[in-house]
Amino acid sequence: METTLYLARRLLQALAVILIVTVVVFCLLHALPGGPARGILGPQATAQQIAAFNHEQGLDRPLPVQYVYYLRTLLHGDLGTSYTLNDAVSRLIEQRLPKTLVLTVLSALAGLAPAIPLGMWQAVRRNKPADHVVTALGFVAYSTPVYFLGLLLILVFTQTLRWFPSQAPQGDTLSQVFADPVALVLPVLTGAASMVAVFSRYMRAATLENLAEDYVRTARAGGSRPAAILWKHVFRNSLTPVIAMLGYYVPVLFGGALVVEQLFNYPGMGLLFWSAAQSSDYPVLLGCVLVISVATVIGTLLADVVQRIVDPRVKAERT
Amino acid sequence: MTVLSIENLAVTFSTDTGDVPAVRDVSLRVRPGETLALVGESGSGKSTVALAATGLLAQNARVSGRISVDGTEVVGADESALARLRGRTVSMVFQEPATALDPLSRVGAQIAEVVRNHRRVSRAEAARAAVELLRRVGVAEPERRASAFPFQLSGGQRQRVVIAMAIANSPGLLIADEPTTALDVTVQAEILDLLRASAADSGTGVLLVTHNMGVVADFADRVAVMLEGEVVETGPVEEVLLRPGHEYTRHLLAAVPRLTVAEPERAKYAEKPERAGSAKEPAGSAPVVELRDVSVRFGRGHRTVKALTDVSLTVRAGETVGLVGESASGKSTAARVALGLVRPDSGSVTLFGSDLARTRGRPRRSLLSGVGVVLQDPVASLDARMSVAECVAEPLRVHQRGMSAPQRRARVAEALELVRLSDGLAKRGPRELSGGQRQRVSLARALVLQPRLLVADEPTSALDVSVQRTVLEVIAELQGELGFACLFVSHDLAVVQEFAQRVVVLRAGAVEEEGPTMTTLLRPETEYTRRLIAAVPVPDPVLQRRRRSALAAEATT
Repeated sequence: METTLYLARRLLQALAVILIVTVVVFCLLHALPGGPARGILGPQATAQQIAAFNHEQGLDRPLPVQYVYYLRTLLHGDLGTSYTLNDAVSRLIEQRLPKTLVLTVLSALAGLAPAIPLGMWQAVRRNKPADHVVTALGFVAYSTPVYFLGLLLILVFTQTLRWFPSQAPQGDTLSQVFADPVALVLPVLTGAASMVAVFSRYMRAATLENLAEDYVRTARAGGSRPAAILWKHVFRNSLTPVIAMLGYYVPVLFGGALVVEQLFNYPGMGLLFWSAAQSSDYPVLLGCVLVISVATVIGTLLADVVQRIVDPRVKAERT
Repeated sequence: MTVLSIENLAVTFSTDTGDVPAVRDVSLRVRPGETLALVGESGSGKSTVALAATGLLAQNARVSGRISVDGTEVVGADESALARLRGRTVSMVFQEPATALDPLSRVGAQIAEVVRNHRRVSRAEAARAAVELLRRVGVAEPERRASAFPFQLSGGQRQRVVIAMAIANSPGLLIADEPTTALDVTVQAEILDLLRASAADSGTGVLLVTHNMGVVADFADRVAVMLEGEVVETGPVEEVLLRPGHEYTRHLLAAVPRLTVAEPERAKYAEKPERAGSAKEPAGSAPVVELRDVSVRFGRGHRTVKALTDVSLTVRAGETVGLVGESASGKSTAARVALGLVRPDSGSVTLFGSDLARTRGRPRRSLLSGVGVVLQDPVASLDARMSVAECVAEPLRVHQRGMSAPQRRARVAEALELVRLSDGLAKRGPRELSGGQRQRVSLARALVLQPRLLVADEPTSALDVSVQRTVLEVIAELQGELGFACLFVSHDLAVVQEFAQRVVVLRAGAVEEEGPTMTTLLRPETEYTRRLIAAVPVPDPVLQRRRRSALAAEATT
């Protein structure tokens, strides 16, 4: 019951945030040269056509009225029409989003899986040579531009070792993507590299903080061995702040996809966004912004829910 | 036969700024069934000795000498040998029950973990043992409580859980490092009883680390007094507390505020020179601050917490009113209402004759400039980025903007002189000062605007007794000179008894009783106040033993 109430309230909050996002996107849409009419009619439309369209669609009405109109079309799944691809933005996103989700989710998992034990391992060996080496490598991985890292991986694994192809799986459906898992390796690795660097850092800091907590001393005083303390107590306590960070990391993941998709010629949201940016295809750009914002809101919502499951204190505080 | 034998122990911490010796040449013994109290002020090294005995010192500690626990050498032992020892032969109870338990593990599981560390039993058996231990340490409904998380328990209950962990494997030696310092007096009395009973049951030796002489008198058989890393005096508790041999022990005991608990001693109190403030002002003078039927609620909806319910209290010019009560009784909230920091939901606050709720803007600011405040934490209540002089000058900058820089400097120098701080400290940062000096800076800051009311919220509870003595003396002396009224919030009845002319006892946000300090604390009218006073241990082992058996007798009838 408590949990249902909490979820209901949290969902309402998420909806409110998304509504605010639509306001921002709406304002951006109206700041476009030619306004939304050009967004829908395309760049070839004449001034008369635009005026006629505006009148027909009520776009000469006051802005708040128009916002309601915009929201209505949005609820019908209508995000406008691409200037260049001659297709509905919603259809384009529908095609591309699943592929990007596959890429980002796999990258996140591939990044977190080594990052968390690595961070804990570093914390235990704080200020010893191993810690310094990993820290240095982490900074290198983090500060290497994704683009450069991708090229480097292609050079090593495609050109020299010939283990993996330099192109991501082509094809429009997910089954086509999964049919060629080897081709996914390099794009996922490229996306995961900075995740490893960032999250091993978070995990190291969180673990260090927890190792200094009084409860660790209590457990030691009770005769628990260091390894048991680390996994039974410190691990879970350190994980909660990292989970919270993960929610906020969604837009960064999408940003990474932008470069990775371009580099490995993987036609997902990132590539869509990239080409739209190059051809000033505003309806597509704003559609992507909306989708990424919604994904971020959902990401933080999920992070909150997971945190609530892991940490009983959160439940007690918020309900 | 000894369970703990420490010989020529020395501990040095190596830090970035060089080596810091913490303990020098300490030798101690604890026999089975005996309680040795290790007392001293902060920085004396008493906790370091306790941690060294379990091998729990920080990694930068260098230890020399010998520590033998039940025949096993601790100094130089490796971690796995120490793990076999800890929780079975020697175990520990810590000061902060709030942080001593893993917040994400159920308390039953944490106790069971200690059981399973040393006994080959199944999970189910360990869980049953945990419930049994919770019952033994007096936790009600142990089956249900075992599956609670630490945040769902009160401070006293959490400390019981920590004790359950400590006695899980019936250790020969129990080390308790300030086990009751973070607890209310009534809870402290229960926890001390529990520790005493647990130790007596199994003939466990206890090393009790504390700064509280009342706790020592209540609990210890022998006492070792530490000063700057060395033991300066050891002996039976009656010897050390009643006929101290070393000058430092005498000095320490003289600084302890004593709660006068019995009528015969009253004569002794009456001989003390009457506190300056009370004599000056007639009792009928106008109230400086008056709270009338003040209620404060925090939070909304069904989570509302009633912090204060119909609280009325008055502080008259020149007098000191002590506001006492246990934690969460609302004493700090009441002080904040008087300061205008918390707006009451109902009732009125009259400050210097003006209704605080109806005064806004500039008049309100000038009204509030007549109130000085000193808070508990001397570290957190001063801005670390300001020099002492800037800290003290800040109220002048806010409330007396027309003042010229030289005038301001003169006033700051004056205020620092009042609190007996030398001019040389003015340019230093608060971090470079000791706790007592910082608290005097707070006091100078509070007094620089020449307030008519000083609100002091636990001003000395973070300080050592000897420092507390100095700070209280300074406040009392200045009150005599400057004649301000004082609302003095404290959990320490002994301090309030020495310091306040009138006392208001709060309980769960309501006034339980009030009256002249001596009358109220010697002949309390309510059962609650009586229990509160009875729970305070006095630093006289003979008297304390008598009070405790009287209390026990009362409890059985």
